[in-house]
Amino acid sequence: MSNPAALAALFSLILPGAGQIRSGHRSRGLIILVITLIIVGLVLWLNLSPASWLGLAVAWAANVWDAWLIAGGQRPKTALLALALALPIYVIGWQVTNIDLVRFFTSANRAAPVVRGLLRPDFFAREIDYGIAGNDFYLPCPAPADAESSAAPNGATVTISQNCGLPGETVQLTGQGFDPNQTLQLWWTNPVGAESRVRIFGEFEPFQVDENGGFQTEITVPNQRYEADNPRAHSLELRYIASQSSYQVTENARLVASRIGETIAQALMATFVGALLAMPFSLFGARNLMAGNPALKVLYYISRTVMNVLRSVEPLIMAIVFVVWVGLGPFAGVLALTMHTIAALGKLYSESIESIDVGPIEAIRATGANQFQIIAYGVLPQVIPPWIAFTVFRWDINVRMSTIIGFVGGGGIGFLLAQWIRLSEYRAAGAAIWAIAVVVIILDLISARVRERLI
Amino acid sequence: MLEVINVSKVYDDGTRALNNVSFTVEDGEFLVLIGLSGSGKSTMLRCINRLIDPTEGRILYNGQDITNADPRELRQIRRQIGMVFQHFNLVKRSSVLRNVLSGRLGYTNTLSSVLGLWSAEDKQKAMENLRLVGIENKANNRADELSGGQQQRVGIARAMMQEPTLMLADEPVASLDPALADSVMRYFEKLNQERGTSVICSLHVLGLARRYATRIIALKAGEVVYNGDPDLIDDVRFREIYGDEAVEHSLR
Repeated sequence: MSNPAALAALFSLILPGAGQIRSGHRSRGLIILVITLIIVGLVLWLNLSPASWLGLAVAWAANVWDAWLIAGGQRPKTALLALALALPIYVIGWQVTNIDLVRFFTSANRAAPVVRGLLRPDFFAREIDYGIAGNDFYLPCPAPADAESSAAPNGATVTISQNCGLPGETVQLTGQGFDPNQTLQLWWTNPVGAESRVRIFGEFEPFQVDENGGFQTEITVPNQRYEADNPRAHSLELRYIASQSSYQVTENARLVASRIGETIAQALMATFVGALLAMPFSLFGARNLMAGNPALKVLYYISRTVMNVLRSVEPLIMAIVFVVWVGLGPFAGVLALTMHTIAALGKLYSESIESIDVGPIEAIRATGANQFQIIAYGVLPQVIPPWIAFTVFRWDINVRMSTIIGFVGGGGIGFLLAQWIRLSEYRAAGAAIWAIAVVVIILDLISARVRERLI
Repeated sequence: MLEVINVSKVYDDGTRALNNVSFTVEDGEFLVLIGLSGSGKSTMLRCINRLIDPTEGRILYNGQDITNADPRELRQIRRQIGMVFQHFNLVKRSSVLRNVLSGRLGYTNTLSSVLGLWSAEDKQKAMENLRLVGIENKANNRADELSGGQQQRVGIARAMMQEPTLMLADEPVASLDPALADSVMRYFEKLNQERGTSVICSLHVLGLARRYATRIIALKAGEVVYNGDPDLIDDVRFREIYGDEAVEHSLR
């Protein structure tokens, strides 16, 4: 092996980066070695699939090729080498984050109820009066002689192939006298009065009456609790829409409106109190005001540190603390948002004091104005507009945040939304999400307008 | 009469900006300070109204000691001395009118001025001064909507609100288009000739200095190197002031 290029390539094949180091490119070789070791370590430690071994192989090969090029006196392709070294890192990242594109597409239908809820938010609904034709059904047999069947107001009747049985048995239903092509819902009411819809062929879907006003179908007796020696009357009912009102605002819509109001009020309180408290902090945290005196310097550093620490804690986390502290509800949310607002606005306020133009202050001092007049005419006009702009922007951010803070019990619309999502009430959740979107968009527009005018 | 007696200024970082400077300014003079940047012109002007406190020496205005004035006296002296700045020093977000009115602050009581309650007389005076500098139609514009030349005229109107007996101008035309320099300088000339206001103005273009000054004081490294008639600055003197490499360019 007298060929230096081949020798360097062999070195790098055995130990990544060794060939490069041998050719005098020490830092390049060391970087390659360290990156490869990290990749090997990750692959072994996380016990990843063969795909990452493949990525590692590509990186290893690129390293050998690089050593070959360098030792052979050719121009190394550094960009390609970097890409090859990055490849296994992406492969590992892909696996660690459980990226599954197949599931993304094949399970799309599972999102359907959520999307349907979003598309049909529960803002308005009709009040519906049902007509009912029913039969008693006894669990278990035998049924007493006086088992009832009732006719619907429009004279429709339903006959049932047997009026007693056990869960899982199949029963024939025959109906007549309904309005042609009417839509029916099948309901089961147990002796305690709990209602549930009965599935036909596993589906909830309402079924249709034929053009003669009759139908015939079979159902499976639902799984209801019973006592073997005590037959009790359940009721099997067919309901149809007898009359319905015009669209009206639903109870959920009212709830959404009141909670959105609560959210906006939360943000308003947090912004207002936060802005007030941020002002002294911002004065103490403005370098140009605190220069000179060592005591002021100490105050400056304290104020800066407090603001930095407060700002680094997410309001969501603060809300968890305050929910424990003052209990569930909007007050905990207000406290969390206020803390964050003090820190965020304090920093912005003090930065606008620091970026103040000293020229006008000098000019106003030169006219013989006193300290109060200098502040009123030289300082405030320069800081008030950005302060207002920052504050309005903060309100906007606080509204967004207070929608989320409800998820951990901090009150507002998020509280409701989280409940509805857990209860799979996607139409109600849809209404909440729409309301949040509308409010956020409106506030966004307002705050953009205000900022445009002030800055 | 303004008397500057043995004034020195040493900044905290050790820079000696003025070194034993003495001169007097009679009422009605148009004095121009020239010199390279860093020669102490701005420091000298700011020592006069004590925007900067001199380290040594005394400055008397009409016999009153400015350097030892207490805050109240100092404000009363300052309001007789107007000042115009190179970068105009307007409050950019405030209206032109409010900027001009702020020139009157030394004469108004704190509460009503802080609340923005100006007397009709003061407002009228502000409009009058804006008319004098030809921008009364911009009174309600924001200051930063105006061009540089217009902003400097607002600065002049603000200083005129003080009805000053002495006007300080720190490079008033240095950040303007040279073509506008004359039009701004003429306001100082007019003030000087029609109202008898003394003017002390720093300039770095000798041509302008020659045209407007009744007397020139040249500073070099914080010391007075020339004090006299504008027309007597010849090539030799010019080199003394500006250094051997300098060449005088005529303004036009």
